[in-house]
Amino acid sequence: MKKTWRCFVCQDVHLGFKPPEVCPTCGARNAYVEISTTEAMGLLQAFPREIDREAFLAAIEALAALNEFQVNPDRDKVNLLLDGLMANEKNHGYKFCPCRLRTKDFLEDMKLICPCNFLIHETYRHRPDGECWCGLFQRRPG
Amino acid sequence: MKKIIMFYARECPHCRVMLPLVDRLEKEMKISVERLEVWHDEKNADLMRSYRHILAPACGGQLRTPTFFEPETQAVLCGEVPYEKLKAWAEQAIGYLA
Repeated sequence: MKKTWRCFVCQDVHLGFKPPEVCPTCGARNAYVEISTTEAMGLLQAFPREIDREAFLAAIEALAALNEFQVNPDRDKVNLLLDGLMANEKNHGYKFCPCRLRTKDFLEDMKLICPCNFLIHETYRHRPDGECWCGLFQRRPG
Repeated sequence: MKKIIMFYARECPHCRVMLPLVDRLEKEMKISVERLEVWHDEKNADLMRSYRHILAPACGGQLRTPTFFEPETQAVLCGEVPYEKLKAWAEQAIGYLA
């Protein structure tokens, strides 16, 4: 089961099975202590930050630049998908994939939050023209 | 009575491609396809979820849109496909005789 951890140097919060050896925020080594989810939520709420569609698009472009895939160059398709993602976040709490449906099993539905781990999906894996199911991401040509 | 349901989502690009093909299918086969939007209508979403055990195995283990479904024969077609494939599936699903 995943736990929440706090860096005692800079208050960085981490969710995972074990704490990071090196804090990615301040670089301190062996600085994480396990905390309650209540404390973690309080820390996160102390630094509120909304991500609008432009910021989200910039974030996934930055993610893609570091990987073997790209954001679909078809801007009409991307805009439609962003409409759906933002609507799903507003109506259902998370940026669920607009081309799949949540099951209401939270752990299962986490797999639908965009970006999902589409690298393992049959629509992408081992396919030179691979895409995530909705088509927001596709394998970069060449 | 056999009927075809199309589970779709308003902001799903694959569904946008398939909706005009469904219009054409209805005209050519003289049938009616029930179009049910699942992200902005919880009743439709619950109905799709109620068929999860049938739909998911045919759709990569998940509930995906668009999904075409015939409840009586439990025939399922998932995703964006060419018109000919949609029509062939629909004919088989409802036992259509031209």
